[in-house]
Parts: sequence; structure tokens; C-alpha cells
Amino acid sequence: MAGRTIWKGNIHFGDVNVPVKLHTAVKEERIQFHLLHRRDHVKLRQQMVCTYEKKPVPMEEQAKGFELDEGKYIIVDSSELEQTAPESSRTIEVHEFVKTEQIDPVFRERVYYLEPDSSLRGYNSLAGALKEMDVEGICTWTMRKRSYLGALQISGKILRLSTLRYADEVISVKSLELQKAPLSEKELEIGNYLIKRLTGPFQPHKFEDEHQKKLQTLIEKKSRGEKIAVLRPRLLKPTASDKLLQVLEASLKKVA
Amino acid sequence: MKTPRSGPSSNQKDETAFQGIWSGTISFSLVAIPVQLVSAVRTGRVSFRMLHGKDYSPLAREMSCPEEEKIVPPDEIVRGYEIGPDKYIVITDKELESLSPERSRTIEIIEFIDMKEVDLIYYDYPYYLVPSKGGEKAYRLLVEVLRRTNKAGLAKFVLRDREYLVAVKSMEGALALITLHYSEEILPHEDIAPKKEEIEPEEKSRMQKTIKKMIADFDPEKYADERRKRILDLLKKKAKEKAPVEAPEIEEEGEGPADLVAALEESMRKMKRNR
Repeated sequence: MAGRTIWKGNIHFGDVNVPVKLHTAVKEERIQFHLLHRRDHVKLRQQMVCTYEKKPVPMEEQAKGFELDEGKYIIVDSSELEQTAPESSRTIEVHEFVKTEQIDPVFRERVYYLEPDSSLRGYNSLAGALKEMDVEGICTWTMRKRSYLGALQISGKILRLSTLRYADEVISVKSLELQKAPLSEKELEIGNYLIKRLTGPFQPHKFEDEHQKKLQTLIEKKSRGEKIAVLRPRLLKPTASDKLLQVLEASLKKVA
Repeated sequence: MKTPRSGPSSNQKDETAFQGIWSGTISFSLVAIPVQLVSAVRTGRVSFRMLHGKDYSPLAREMSCPEEEKIVPPDEIVRGYEIGPDKYIVITDKELESLSPERSRTIEIIEFIDMKEVDLIYYDYPYYLVPSKGGEKAYRLLVEVLRRTNKAGLAKFVLRDREYLVAVKSMEGALALITLHYSEEILPHEDIAPKKEEIEPEEKSRMQKTIKKMIADFDPEKYADERRKRILDLLKKKAKEKAPVEAPEIEEEGEGPADLVAALEESMRKMKRNR
């Protein structure tokens, strides 16, 4: 079952208005740990501690500060911050439509399902239009006192909102300052061939978090008092630059 | 050239860009490339520090023992799994690490896929891989062949206490690594999808006309976070109205009482604050 409704709104552009309900689309479940005191296994509690007095500070004595310069702060209280919240609105405003392939995956944050609200008015027509044209609508909306940027899109029969990161939230490849390294045609040719040989369809159902299963087993073993063998992580020896062609040729033999 | 490294000591200015989270090797077939993992994104949210309202000292998140009301240093903290009320099984870092020894230091590409086949609902979090010393050439090869073939490498690897399914693709001359959700984490949508499928052709073509007029190239620079702008405006206004407050300097541990100069500086700071 899809997650519960978290927000209701209207998709709007031109004279189009489509009422929808937002649902979460992904649910992560992981084994939860607690932090304990080594000595007596008492569950620890998180506290905010004054770095000057080294004493815990109760909530009512805590303040929020923006660090202007080292050790210099502008104090902002919560009522002031509250006032910066965008006006609440029920509109998912579509500003423009773009081709899906233009949106790089690094911009994508999370996906919400859109359920038609109360009536099917416009929903199927919009879904059909987006599918035929293979475009996504870049849109903005306000939800939970935050302004969101997203892409309205279609998957099968259901409309979805994919939230997008703002441009300055994506770290540029340029800032990585990667070095150029010359490659021979032969190296590229074998590389291409290897990739093509090792290409298959994407089958997400084949994969599961085996680590979590192993962790479950570990917990069971330990609770029975069994001894646990500690293994070292496997390290691979990096391929030396001058051996690259040789290693590629060996790989070629392996897949042949 | 600067070698991106983890830790705050390396390059203060680029610290946000080079938060080396992990280092190890990425392999395909018999080729192994030493790499580091760095985040590809950073939050644009205005970040605040929690301070003590009394003296404006920064606050630190610490763990404390509720029974002794004392702060517990990191070396006295262990990780426990609750098997009953107040009953825990302690799991050590070494035990966690040895759960998947073949995957904790190696991203082994098991097959290549067409990135177009990966529905974006699977995208979890983006990183970049950067080559470590000696890995530049093999790194460049993988970037280039992924670009030419338009494929992505699929691998599993363990980061902290989670095993991730990841897609490694070429992006503007770099390797981007996107962690993917497992299919069991994707919620079904059959219950909320429209029950009827009829489309009104007239309505659809009317919408398509409107959409056509609104087609553009994707340019994320056009959009800014309104909330962030307003917070920054508020801060600018406040900075003009009033001098910032200052935190008292923290003395190094083991140093006796504050000396005279420090005491004088402290009172000068207080004067400034009251001005």
C-alpha cells in the first residue's frame, strides 16, 4: 500500500487545474541500535552541553545563532524564523516543461505519488499528455512551511512529483579538479568491449540488503552466546597505470 | 593539483566539496581503481548553531547517562540492539565490519546497465568518486567508456552499517555514484492510482497545446529557495541593526585560571556586546 496522504494541492498551469493528494513512495526499514554506556549497558540520552561551562543546557536556555565570523553570532529567535516561512498555499505551480533526459539524476531528491483528489478531473488527460510528449513539468509549491522545487511527471498510470535540489546544492564536477590522463585507442576499445559484454537488464528485484540479514543473524548468534569470528575487510590491489593494458587484455580473456 | 582528502585539516576552503566519506577501490572485471567517495550535493539551508543563551557559547551534542547525570566520553559508548526491555546485545564496530568483508572496501561492478532502465524512484543519494593517487588513468578509462557506451555500472557496497546497491555513471568527466533504493523499499501505488483510465481527447490536446507553449531547456539556476532568501534578508537586517554577540573564548584544558590579559579581553568583549 502507498504511504499515507501527506499534503493536498492543485496542479496549476495555464487554465489547467488538477487536484491531487501527495503520498510517500519509499519506505526504509533498518535495524535500529541504541547507544549504551559500556560499563552498565544503560541507554544514553542526547544532551546539549555548553562548551564553555561543560554543563548540560536546558531547552529554555538554548538560543539559535548564525555564525557571522568565528565566534560571532547573530541571534535569531524562533518567532523571527517563523515569519520567514512562505505563505501557505495549495498550488503546485508548473512554470515550464522540459525533456526528462535534461534533468541529471544528481538533482533528484525523492519521489511522491500523486493520487487524484475527490474527482478524476483532468488527471488522466494530464497523464496522457505528459506521456505522449515525454516531458516533465518544473514546478514549485509550499509544503510544511518549506518551498519546494520539483518535476511533475508520469509513470505508468500515476502522476508523480520528483523533488529537485536547487542548482547551488549540487557540487560541480569542476571543483573536483580531476586530472586528465592520456588513454590509448586499444585501451578504450577493450574497455568498450568489456562493458558491452557485461551489460544486462536492470533487475532490481534480484537485489536485497544482505548485510541487514547478516546483521540479524549476528544478533541472534550473540544472544545465544556464540562466539563471533572477526574478519578483515578485503582490499584489492590497485591496477598500476603502466599495467592497465595488460590487465584489460587479461580481462578480455576472462569474458571470452 | 590538490588531492581531495577527508578530514578538516586538508583544505579548509573546499571542505564542503571534499568531504571524503570513504576510501577504497572500485573494480570492473580485473581492473581495480583506488578512489574516494565524496558527496555530490550539499544542503543550501541556512545553518544555525545552537548556543547557550546566557553567554553565547556554542553547544555540543553529547551523550549522557541518565542515572549518573554525567557526560559519557565516546570511548565509553557502545552500540546495542534491544532484545527486551532494558536488555541489549552489544555489537562492536569490528563485528559490523566483518559482516561483509568483501564489500566494505571494494565497490565491485558486477554488471553494466542502461541508466534509462532505472526508474528515478530508485534514486537515493548522489556522490562522486575521485581517483586516489595512482588511479587517475584507470579512472579516466572507466569514465570514458561509460560515456561512450552510455552505460552505468551496478555494484553493491557497504558504507557504515548499510549495504547499498549503487549505479556508477559518467558525468561531465567524473564518476557519479548514485545509491539506489531496494525494490522492497518502494511502496506500491495500485491502491491510489486512478481507477478509470478514460482520457478525454479534447481536454488532452488542449493541455498539450498549453504544454507546447511552455517547453524550455532545464535550467535549475532559474529557481531559488524563497525561504532561504528570506532568512538571509532577516540576518542582513539584524546584522545592520545590532552588533553580533560573541562567545567567550574557551581555555584549553589543564590551563589554570584565566590570565589577566584574557580576563581583560573578556570584559572588553562584554562591553562591546552591551554597546
